[in-house]
Amino acid sequence: MSDKTIYAIYDDDYVLLESAKHLVAKGIHIRDVFSPFPIHGIDPVIGLARTRIAMTAFIYGMCGVTLALTGMWFFMIHDWPLNIGGKPNFSIIDNLPSFVPITFEFGVLCAGHGMAITFMLRNWTLPGFKGRNPYPRTTDDRFVMEIHAADSDLSAAEIKAFIDETCVLEIDEK
Amino acid sequence: MANTKKYWKGLEQLDKDSTFVESSNSEFAEQLPVTEFLGNKEDLEDASTTRRDFLKYLGFGVAAASLAACETPVTKAIPYLNKPEEITPGLANYYASTYFDGNDYAPILVKTREGRPIHIVGNKESVLTKGSINARVNSSVLSLYDNNRLKAPSISGEETTWATIDNRLGKELAGAKSVRVLTGSVMSSSYNSAIHSFLNPSIENFNAAGDPIGSEVTTIGKHIVADAISYSGILEANKESFGKAVIPTYNFEKAKTIVSVGADFMGNWLDALQYVNDYTQTRKPGNDWMSKTFQFEASMSLTGTNADVRVPVKPSEYGAIISSLYAHLGGSGGVKTAYDAKVKEAAEALKASKGESIVVCGSNDKNVQVLVNAINELLGNYGKTVDVNIVSNSKQGLDSEVAALIEDMNAGKVDALLIQGIDPVFTMGTAFATAMKKVKTTVSFATKMDDTAAACLYICPSNHALESWSDAVPVTGHYSLGQPTISPLFDTRQTEASLLKWSGNETSYHDYIKAYCEAHIFPQSGAVMFTDFWNKTLHDGVAVVSTKATESTPFAGNVSKAVAAVKAIKANGIELELVQNMGIGAGVGADNPWLQEMPDPITKITWDNYVTMSPSEMKDAGYEIHFGQEHEMNVLEVTANGNTIQLPVVAQPGQAKGTIGIALGYGKKVGNQEELTGANAYPLVTKTKTGLSYYASGVTAENVELDEPYFIACTQTQQTVMGRSSVIRETTFDTYKKGDRADFNPKFTLLSGETDAHGHQKAKELKEFDLWGDQPVKVIGHRWGMSIDMNSCTGCSACVTSCVSENNIAVIGKDQVRRGRIMHWMRIDRYYSSEHQPLGDVGATHDKTKEALDVNGISAYTAMEDPADNPSVVHQPMMCQHCNHAGCETVCPVAATTHSNEGLNMMTYNRCIGTRYCANNCAYKVRRFNWFNYIAYSKFTDINPSQDDMARMVLNPDVVVRSRGVMEKCSLCVQRIQEGKLDAKKAGAKVQDGAIQTACSSACPTNAITFGDHNDEDSQLAAERESDRSYRVIEEVGQDGNVYYQTKVRNLNA
Amino acid sequence: MHKEAAIREPLILGSPTYSDISNDVLHSIENKPTQLWKILMIIATIAALWGLGCITYLLGVGIGTWGLNNTVGWAWDITNFVWWVGIGHAGTLISAVLLLFRQKWRMAINRPAEAMTIFAVFMAGMFPMIHMGRVWMAYWVMPIPNQFGSLWVNFNSPLLWDVFAISTYLSVSLVFWYIGLIPDFGTIRDRATRPVQKLMYGLLSFGWTGNAKAWQRFEEVSLVLAGLATPLVFSVHSIVSMDFATSVIPGWHTTIFPPYFVAGAVFSGFAMVQTLMLIVRKAMRLEHYVTIKHIEYMNIVIIVTGSIVGVAYLTELFISYYSGVEYESYAFINRLSGPYWWSYAIMMTCNVVSPHLFWSKKLRTNLSFTFVMSIVVNIGMWFERFVIIVTSVHRDYLPSSWSMFYPTWVDIGVFIGTLGIFSVFYLLFLKYFPVLAFNEVKSILKSSGEQYKNMTDEEFKALHPVLKKDIK
Repeated sequence: MSDKTIYAIYDDDYVLLESAKHLVAKGIHIRDVFSPFPIHGIDPVIGLARTRIAMTAFIYGMCGVTLALTGMWFFMIHDWPLNIGGKPNFSIIDNLPSFVPITFEFGVLCAGHGMAITFMLRNWTLPGFKGRNPYPRTTDDRFVMEIHAADSDLSAAEIKAFIDETCVLEIDEK
Repeated sequence: MANTKKYWKGLEQLDKDSTFVESSNSEFAEQLPVTEFLGNKEDLEDASTTRRDFLKYLGFGVAAASLAACETPVTKAIPYLNKPEEITPGLANYYASTYFDGNDYAPILVKTREGRPIHIVGNKESVLTKGSINARVNSSVLSLYDNNRLKAPSISGEETTWATIDNRLGKELAGAKSVRVLTGSVMSSSYNSAIHSFLNPSIENFNAAGDPIGSEVTTIGKHIVADAISYSGILEANKESFGKAVIPTYNFEKAKTIVSVGADFMGNWLDALQYVNDYTQTRKPGNDWMSKTFQFEASMSLTGTNADVRVPVKPSEYGAIISSLYAHLGGSGGVKTAYDAKVKEAAEALKASKGESIVVCGSNDKNVQVLVNAINELLGNYGKTVDVNIVSNSKQGLDSEVAALIEDMNAGKVDALLIQGIDPVFTMGTAFATAMKKVKTTVSFATKMDDTAAACLYICPSNHALESWSDAVPVTGHYSLGQPTISPLFDTRQTEASLLKWSGNETSYHDYIKAYCEAHIFPQSGAVMFTDFWNKTLHDGVAVVSTKATESTPFAGNVSKAVAAVKAIKANGIELELVQNMGIGAGVGADNPWLQEMPDPITKITWDNYVTMSPSEMKDAGYEIHFGQEHEMNVLEVTANGNTIQLPVVAQPGQAKGTIGIALGYGKKVGNQEELTGANAYPLVTKTKTGLSYYASGVTAENVELDEPYFIACTQTQQTVMGRSSVIRETTFDTYKKGDRADFNPKFTLLSGETDAHGHQKAKELKEFDLWGDQPVKVIGHRWGMSIDMNSCTGCSACVTSCVSENNIAVIGKDQVRRGRIMHWMRIDRYYSSEHQPLGDVGATHDKTKEALDVNGISAYTAMEDPADNPSVVHQPMMCQHCNHAGCETVCPVAATTHSNEGLNMMTYNRCIGTRYCANNCAYKVRRFNWFNYIAYSKFTDINPSQDDMARMVLNPDVVVRSRGVMEKCSLCVQRIQEGKLDAKKAGAKVQDGAIQTACSSACPTNAITFGDHNDEDSQLAAERESDRSYRVIEEVGQDGNVYYQTKVRNLNA
Repeated sequence: MHKEAAIREPLILGSPTYSDISNDVLHSIENKPTQLWKILMIIATIAALWGLGCITYLLGVGIGTWGLNNTVGWAWDITNFVWWVGIGHAGTLISAVLLLFRQKWRMAINRPAEAMTIFAVFMAGMFPMIHMGRVWMAYWVMPIPNQFGSLWVNFNSPLLWDVFAISTYLSVSLVFWYIGLIPDFGTIRDRATRPVQKLMYGLLSFGWTGNAKAWQRFEEVSLVLAGLATPLVFSVHSIVSMDFATSVIPGWHTTIFPPYFVAGAVFSGFAMVQTLMLIVRKAMRLEHYVTIKHIEYMNIVIIVTGSIVGVAYLTELFISYYSGVEYESYAFINRLSGPYWWSYAIMMTCNVVSPHLFWSKKLRTNLSFTFVMSIVVNIGMWFERFVIIVTSVHRDYLPSSWSMFYPTWVDIGVFIGTLGIFSVFYLLFLKYFPVLAFNEVKSILKSSGEQYKNMTDEEFKALHPVLKKDIK
């Protein structure tokens, strides 16, 4: 049977959250939820895995630190050592104290930007993209569940019936 | 298809004009006037292009190319077509020559590059000056390229040719019955003789001095000598005392006690350049004795700043002091003065060193000078330290003769007046100007359009000294030659040549000198071959031809009369003393931007003359006593001898109460500048029937309100050292002799943390606390550095202008200097002692600070900022210290300033982005920033000579001209170091100690600056570094500089 | 669901619905600019143009057009630089540090504060540029091989650390700020009626969907960025302070500078936020969201940081005396009694004395007083930098080179100019950007909104029935 997408539109985050629990209990799989602001606690209900984006930040940061240190070693100690104020210019260890600030800053720079870019790409939010939320008001004061009939062994009609038990504002089918 | 179009060269061709057809066959359309041109001798002489000119142009071409560094645009370089043998591009030639401007005599070496003189140093061959020069001498190279020089002869303002001048003037002079040649003092015997043979061609015989021999001489005219600053008093006095109007020679090297009353013998008095080096030989604390100097004077002079004992007195009292000194020494008569104690002290010191002392006086009063002679006679100094039989020719002007000349002119007895070497209308004022009007034919030989030249009918511009041949007999038996180092830049002819021509003598002046030398000088020398003698003298520049003194005569001065006359000197009210300062002198330096921008050694003020006054009196009068870029100065209207000038008044600690001082020589236009710098003080000179005297009494000085505020451009606004004993170290001879370094120059130590038996922390020397180990440069290869002896440094500032000349330092003008942006790489810090903070020896200093603090708390610091009424003074040359742990290097973001492996703190101009962080982090504040594009910005066109195509020729091709927005500073003349190393390399030897000299060290008349290699343990530098007087300025900051200073030692009884 | 202590005052007054919040905040964007806005804009533009003129003149003629000299190589330029950087600290501090500490009151002010930060840091960054003698060579501070061969930069130089610190700080705060903006742009996009608006905000919103996963990532990113930005905030001003701390000039060479500068930065930053917020909330009628409570919280931060700064000043003073180093002690005697004593006096009164008036609740909840204070503090902080920079360097080791600094009209013009440019940017922000992070605000409506605040769960549930059958 053809896959039906059912949208349940609510006007309150709390209500949506509770209804979601109710529906899930009924064995309905909620594909996604659109809301103007994060609804805390929805993730486990609809079974979203924790994001690993923080890890990437750490990795980018480490790359930055390494890059900075190698760079400074190459510039100041390997490629073109200069006698500057009689400071030791023959090993990175002696020079390290004055390398700390830039190492740190560069680490943060890479971590911050790296993660941001990853976020954009992973999220598919990039300049020039169209918004893909089903209803404009989901970014203002509407809270919408997206349910695919195919996800559960219930029929679309049954699902709608279950949804209708909750204080839903409107049920829409596409 | 073939092009059948035909282009006509002109209508002539179209209508087949005959002339066109002819000309079209010849190479040049018009006939070249070759034959006429070469045919006519006079035209040829007037023609300006000669071989030397060619060299000059190409010299400029090469210079321009070599200047094309950084963003400065490349103009064009002309290659040699055939290279003159003596010139190798890139290598400097040095020519020995002689500098004499009527005031200073100095044998010099002229450095030329590609045919351009670019730098002047003293000639160490000279036994008289021992290579001493002052700022005026080494800056004179700039005035050679001054675009405001007279570029062609002119008759009543109309430019003309020499031929016409010679014709017309020849006729006029032939018709003239009485001619007067008015010159400054003439040292050149050949010139002297030329003058006489011009006045009377019949004279055959001359003596070595160039004076005609034999009494039968009948001349149509007279040669009159007038000095800008008259020393007539001494001449007259010696005439009376010894029967000859001469300037004695002094031997300061032998003088253990020197008493000077108003004589600035280290600065501008007589032949200071011949005294100053000798004097500093007696100031070496290492020797077993050290001379002691007493200076009685009204306004602070260079000598005053260096004297051991300085007593501020009024100029009218000079005579009285001399006579009371005479009395104290057992002479008759003599008046008691207010300074009797000091005079007595001086007398005692003199008695203790009979025959080894010198007494001099700056007064131009004959009677006073007679007494001075009497004192020197009494002390038996004649023949030992003072000599009237071996005499100096530097001053010959007699006031009486000048007065007579003016009378004659007024009486219309003078038909023709020829003036050379002086500017009488400027120095003698209206009296002379009006008299001149009565003279039919007036001729000026000025090199620049001065007041006199402007009043003259004929202007026959003379060459610059560097374009002329000259000789000189500065002192009996001494001879020196001056040779041209470049051919005349303009259509000028040196005076001597003109005179020869007009006296019908066709020989060139060079031949004339040579002949004269052969006839009169060479015979005394005892040399065998004249050519050898001539070539050697020309090469060395100087020669001692005989040591024979003129026959001596006993002292026959009328002392009692003199004493009486001195007693009679009356004075009232405020007294004004007219002085010369080191930059401008009698006025020769007035139109030289380098000298105008050179801070005065004492006040540190540039681009101005001013009234100096005692700070305490100014406080009472409510005048502004502080300097600063926004401090409005009070302007005084000073009236003396019926003449009035307006000048700003500045506080001069040490100025005698009730007196004011003004520097002469100012009031001329500088460069292309519109406004005058300062005001001409010559009108204030007192003229009595006995002569001129350079002070006036009964002076009025009224404060006048100006429409706009008047500012002073002063380079040092803080006068005292604020008790910072690690900046200035000073002690007394006695303390030094005790020999315990801790008393006068303690080493810096810090508590180490380790405790000794008694649980006290052990103190360790600074280097123990170094964060890092020594860098290789400390021991390997060269480590260039300096040692500066503050005992020898008189503060004369010759090094400052020498540095400007060597390193192409920009002149930025009064307004910018006032804003604290002077570009000088080398400055001389001058510190006055303060009541709260006497510059005693270090130990004392600390106690005194404590005292001051405990008593007054914070306000003591404010009090310390004010100098004492009669302060002791220290001069401290300050330039980049080339620190081994330089603060400036670490902070530069782009590594534009780094340390060379020869210990130099290098500045990479074209890497600099101008953050100025280095300058901020320099503990010595020696870095200079190019705030504007001084070499192009229109605001500086009138001020900075380097913007003038002519004056650019003085730039040193070895040093780039810095562009806007980059930092610059002392490089220890790295270009000279490189040159020296190359020479050593070619010679296959290591660099000899002393072979390399920086601009400052080579210019220093007293050898106060020693440059050398720290790593060469046998070098003089290493020795001085290890001496117990040596210390580094603010060493405790830990910058580890390569420049050392030698503690100043005063000869005081501590 | 999460509730907070009853004693905490509500952060959102009245009883707005979610769409009310959007309407209130987006009012300025969705309507024509007000008269007041236009007037302010004109004034700001004039100032900005004047400043740009001065800068052009400066770059054309040379640094000599400023009042600097051989002794005082930095004056207003670096003073302004440090001042602006300082101001630029509040934003990130509020949004990052307060986010880490889960301070909900940040939500109403973090957006405008961050905007201020970014514009301020931008102003700050301008000064190190134009203060260069050869600004056209500015790119040489980047470690790139250049026409002179392998000439690299000097990583020992605090000025180079600045380059990295400032650029990192600017770009990271920008990212942080913009990521926060994306959902709000999404809202505007979806509400927009005029096509141009729809297009523009469509582009700006990067096609934000607002689905659960996006929100999950969004929160994670915000949190991590906050974690990164927090040490960044502290590092940046520490590094700026090292420009001075690592030098040898008495008065600059001070080890307590890093914490002291950071505290000062937060101090001045919050003051500037106050100045701006007090105007904004009034002009844009946001009193419900930026409440007296917010103002009071910020005033408390000002007391704390102000006290830290005060302690730092006194420590400096004592240590200079206690060290026994004559130059060090004189540097401070000079601050007290030297020619620039007045600037030291202004600094002391504005920064040390005045903040303590806020101990009285009456004063710190008084808007007009707070406004005046915020100005006073910023004047004080400008003079702090002036004192540190100029009065230290104008009289250092060798008395011979002691000097004074007198600003020229160009010095002043450039400073006024930066104020103008800053205001222009800020006004544009107020008009075209969502002034508050209103979607975040919505998320705290239930926990800190006035109407929900002290509801019992029963009342709440009654108000929000989940199942139809529960409806009575």
